[in-house]
Amino acid sequence: MPLALRDLQAAFAAHLAGADRADLAAEVLAAAVLGDAIPAAARLSVHRHHVFESLGSALAATFPTVQALVGAEFFRGLARAFIGRSLPTQPVLAEYGAGFPAFIAGHDAARDLPYLADVARLDWALNLAFHTPPGGRLAAADLAALPADRLPSLRLSLAPGTVLVASSYPLARIWAASQPGAAADPVDLAAGGVRLLVLRRPDDAAFVPLSVGEAAFVTGLGQGLSLEEAAGRAETNFDLSTCFARLLGLGVFAAAQ
Amino acid sequence: MRASYALSIHAVGLSLGSVDGLDEVHLARVAGLVKRLEPALVSDHLSWSSYGGRYFNDLLPLPYTEEALAVVVRNVQRLQEVLGRQVSIENPSCYLSFAQSTLSEPEFLGELVRLSGCGLLLDVNNIAVTAHNLRLDPRGWLDLPGEAITQYHLAGHAVNDADGETILIDDHGSRVSDGVWALFADVVQRFGRRPTLIEWDTDLPPLTVLLDEAARADRLVAIGDGNAARAA
Repeated sequence: MPLALRDLQAAFAAHLAGADRADLAAEVLAAAVLGDAIPAAARLSVHRHHVFESLGSALAATFPTVQALVGAEFFRGLARAFIGRSLPTQPVLAEYGAGFPAFIAGHDAARDLPYLADVARLDWALNLAFHTPPGGRLAAADLAALPADRLPSLRLSLAPGTVLVASSYPLARIWAASQPGAAADPVDLAAGGVRLLVLRRPDDAAFVPLSVGEAAFVTGLGQGLSLEEAAGRAETNFDLSTCFARLLGLGVFAAAQ
Repeated sequence: MRASYALSIHAVGLSLGSVDGLDEVHLARVAGLVKRLEPALVSDHLSWSSYGGRYFNDLLPLPYTEEALAVVVRNVQRLQEVLGRQVSIENPSCYLSFAQSTLSEPEFLGELVRLSGCGLLLDVNNIAVTAHNLRLDPRGWLDLPGEAITQYHLAGHAVNDADGETILIDDHGSRVSDGVWALFADVVQRFGRRPTLIEWDTDLPPLTVLLDEAARADRLVAIGDGNAARAA
């Protein structure tokens, strides 16, 4: 009795995820019938190979800095291990890999390269920002009509794609040193941590380093606090107007609806 | 770009052969794109790529049975209903076939056209790859309903070793093979001129090589189209 289509697809799905399925191999038209010597397992392996290779390429495109740091061969191994346990749940490959940074953090590779998971988080944030429609931005002129005393109570939305990536390693330098053509200057891993604000720009995605105070301010705004309340999250000598002007210039805020 | 050129949207992830039915979230995204771009052609493949909430990023083979036909017809009808237009279905590259199949691929595609009203995207390289890998006669695809064909695809394939025998892999990474050009000439002679795409998306060559391939396709289309017109 041949497998019903639902059972056939279930068996094929299990095969692709790594299981050996004799019931599936039995469904494949035998070499003897076709008149060649290619076993069913070899034919089925074409598909398993393609699933892992193509998804590995998708992860390499999304996490180019991780691949640059560990090399293409080691990256393939990392990707294979991740894909085996976390196949995509939807067909948009640019949205595949949300769990990869956490997977790296728990992997043996993280012992030798403790900053690797943070690099992956930065790659992921840049990927998300890049695939976000740019959308309109709040400009200084938009606020010109606002009475000055209303400014502190203003609540602003961060532009889509804007996200803060904090690390206890010098992530910006690690990232820059890993770009194609970068000078091979050694990076001092003890140089201290950073807070990088990832942004969708008109034609690409990029990040800028923030001070501790600026990062606390942006985090507060992202939680829906007013400018004045968010400034209260920063250190005592925080200069609200300078910081706000900088963020406005960077295009951090979405245009008012 | 849309104002000056007829666009073709070629989908790979709708999974029209999924017994689960279509992913409505993804379907809505594709529908949004189609609404925005108003393309001349919309297409996807006779295959499946999702099951049980997982997406495999591969064009997986279907058994050619009445049961699978009913699933694909239902999914294609749903797709055409949501897009409000006809879509074209492409013959896939196959590396295996199922013992339970009761229809040939051309018969299956012909029934799909009849029952869903869809068009066909004829990938000539895929015919050559499937025919080689499954020891079939590529001329079997010349029995397709020609009036349903909206577009042709051409591409290169890799020649791999599988336990001492050759297996062809559709990798879009080289020039169109001589065998595929010859088959393309037969296809154009049989069915006439259609918009033709050369797919090349791995190992990209210099632009001159691509232009050379496109010019060769144009020449074959012109010759075959003239012959098809005389035969009609």
